[in-house]
Amino acid sequence: MTGTSRLPTEGPAMPRTFLDAFINSNGALSILVVLLGFACGTLIIMAVGRNPAGLYLALLQTLTGFNATTGVWNARYVGEWLTAAMPLILCGMSMGFAARTGLFNIGAEGQYIVGLTAAQFVALYAPPFFGAEWVVCLLAAAAAGAFWGGLVGWLRARFSVSEVVATIMLNYIAFFLSRYLTRLIPDANTYRTPNFPGAAIIPRWFIDDLTNHSRLSAGIFVVLACVILYWLVLERTKLGFELRATGLNRTAAGYAGIGVNRCFTTSMGIAGAFAGLAGAIVALGSFSYGRVIGGYDNYGFNGIAVALVGNSTAGGTLLSGLLFGMLSSAQPLMQSRQIPKEIAWIISGLVVVLVSLRAGIRLVIAWRAKVAAARSLAEREAAGA
Amino acid sequence: MKKSFLAAIALTLVALTQAFAADPTVRLLTDATGIDDKSFNAAAWRGILDFYGDTWAKQSKRGKAYDVVTAQTQDMYVPNLKQASDEKYDLIIVTGFTWADALSEVAKLYPEQKYMIVDVDWVGDPNVMQVTFSEHEGSFLVGVATALKAKAEGIKDPKFGFIGGIPGPVITKFEVGYVMGILSVLPKAKIVDYYANDWGKPELAKAQAKNWYDSGVYAIFSAAGGTGNGTIAQAKEYRTQGKKVWAIGVDSDQYADGIYSGTKSAVLTSMLKRVETASKVSIQNVKAGTFKSEVLVLDTKADGVGFATSNPELDKSIVTQVEQVRKNIIAGKVKVFATYAEAKAAGKVPGDLQASDK
Repeated sequence: MTGTSRLPTEGPAMPRTFLDAFINSNGALSILVVLLGFACGTLIIMAVGRNPAGLYLALLQTLTGFNATTGVWNARYVGEWLTAAMPLILCGMSMGFAARTGLFNIGAEGQYIVGLTAAQFVALYAPPFFGAEWVVCLLAAAAAGAFWGGLVGWLRARFSVSEVVATIMLNYIAFFLSRYLTRLIPDANTYRTPNFPGAAIIPRWFIDDLTNHSRLSAGIFVVLACVILYWLVLERTKLGFELRATGLNRTAAGYAGIGVNRCFTTSMGIAGAFAGLAGAIVALGSFSYGRVIGGYDNYGFNGIAVALVGNSTAGGTLLSGLLFGMLSSAQPLMQSRQIPKEIAWIISGLVVVLVSLRAGIRLVIAWRAKVAAARSLAEREAAGA
Repeated sequence: MKKSFLAAIALTLVALTQAFAADPTVRLLTDATGIDDKSFNAAAWRGILDFYGDTWAKQSKRGKAYDVVTAQTQDMYVPNLKQASDEKYDLIIVTGFTWADALSEVAKLYPEQKYMIVDVDWVGDPNVMQVTFSEHEGSFLVGVATALKAKAEGIKDPKFGFIGGIPGPVITKFEVGYVMGILSVLPKAKIVDYYANDWGKPELAKAQAKNWYDSGVYAIFSAAGGTGNGTIAQAKEYRTQGKKVWAIGVDSDQYADGIYSGTKSAVLTSMLKRVETASKVSIQNVKAGTFKSEVLVLDTKADGVGFATSNPELDKSIVTQVEQVRKNIIAGKVKVFATYAEAKAAGKVPGDLQASDK
């Protein structure tokens, strides 16, 4: 296994000082931009004449279930937070996995939709499977997503079709195809199908009591398993090494004997499987019937932001998925405290913009360190002279 | 320290609740389009504002007596309903049939909580009040008004368009009524229809409207929530260029949205669906203690639906004629069908419309 070896341009160099460590740490910078995002959000709330305490009370309630205004504790809100985070983490990994191979997967939304649609069909039509039909549904969704993503990777490898254009177009195809196919189901009307059989719905087991009947399902374990799998594959296998090498420099990887084209297809396939699973977890975890989707759920698109903030690493994507999930499930709680609903999106947006500025921030910090070093050197020389 | 802080907050809350003890507290839950859709949700919100003596510009009791929470995605319907129920509002109002499944799930979990849903009559729970409208009658009236205007302007072989949101029984009532109204005046008029499959995509309606206006369509009626604003935008553009085209507003009087110069508006008339009446009546019932599980039908007779007369270009003579039709509907002399199947069976509408009864 060559997976443990580190590629030269990846990861931080040995830190010498705290500042160096900070500049070189994507994690620390991510935290900084998140804090900046919240600071700006707070200022905006004050600027529109509302009390920013509402924002933080809503976030507190999302994270702990404790409503500080009424003193009531209800674990359901924690469950709802994790429920919102699940598809975001998976779609973030969809974006992130492709990004690590140097591909820009804007198609997580489409892959999410085919996953959702496949899960709904299998849920309604699959024969019994030991009372755990939901497992089959999840597998079908992952397969459908993998096909939808892998198709793009193959087009890229075989015909050099830009994966950006292909994924965007496939998003539309997935959307309209899903609507068309789902409406063919007997007794489906323009927005829903008949109810799923009970065994197709993802079970809640002990989570149901633990989170006071939130919508949080066993899907959370699937998500956690995926995070571990993501890390294992990318960091600890030969395949992952090849994918990362392709992502860093595909020409060099090609010369080194890595099948770059095969990497494209594999990477997009795995990315699609993550997004497909997200679709199934929403479809069979949060709904008891199939939906004729009327618009994008946007988990796929938000996944782009999740991966960006999480820096496409397993742990980072998990954390940033939890962050975006928190912002989205805190939204109704904010509105309840008269904080405009747009604030949560403004904060998410700011975080994304600021993360994109990560490179810029790093330049400024490095430049200032250099100036300071030059000054102290000059001072020392002056003192010595 | 912490305890005394919490106690202080609790006391303030008690004081606030007492200050408004006379009036019930209300939470409005909407879909992603929110109360700024200038149409359906806006009307529900206006009814609430009206009950509390507030206006759109002055929402002084918002956050104390009433407020609104918008759901960004459909999977937030259930949690938002549960949250509002936890927060113990006297009444929770939801708008639109897409909420029906979520409501019937949550209403059973909170039997003491009162709910009201607009546009739905199949949620039977004992703590849910349901309000529906006779949209087909109101749409019939704007259909008549539009056709009369085409006649008055001497348009040869006028064509009429209909743009719907997500197809379903409710939107079908709009389409069937409108088409019947037009054909009652101009039996040979050609009808075109299109469904955007979305309540919040004005760009789709705008593109379709441009296509149709270019191909000689005289007026377009949009029953598509925020999507319909695209029709009005396109009609405005073309009227500014001097083309004789109209948009027909929906739910609220959209005359002001269509103004392009002075008092000239591209919105000839609007089908008024007084959702504000629904929210107002339900709050009044809660206050008076007469709230019960019922299906309230707001029809022409109950003034639940009607047509807007604010555009000065809608001639007085036309208004008089439409008023007469209105009286005939109330008197039962004109029968407007609510489903496509019935209207088609009676031969009152063409057989190639995209309207769906399920």
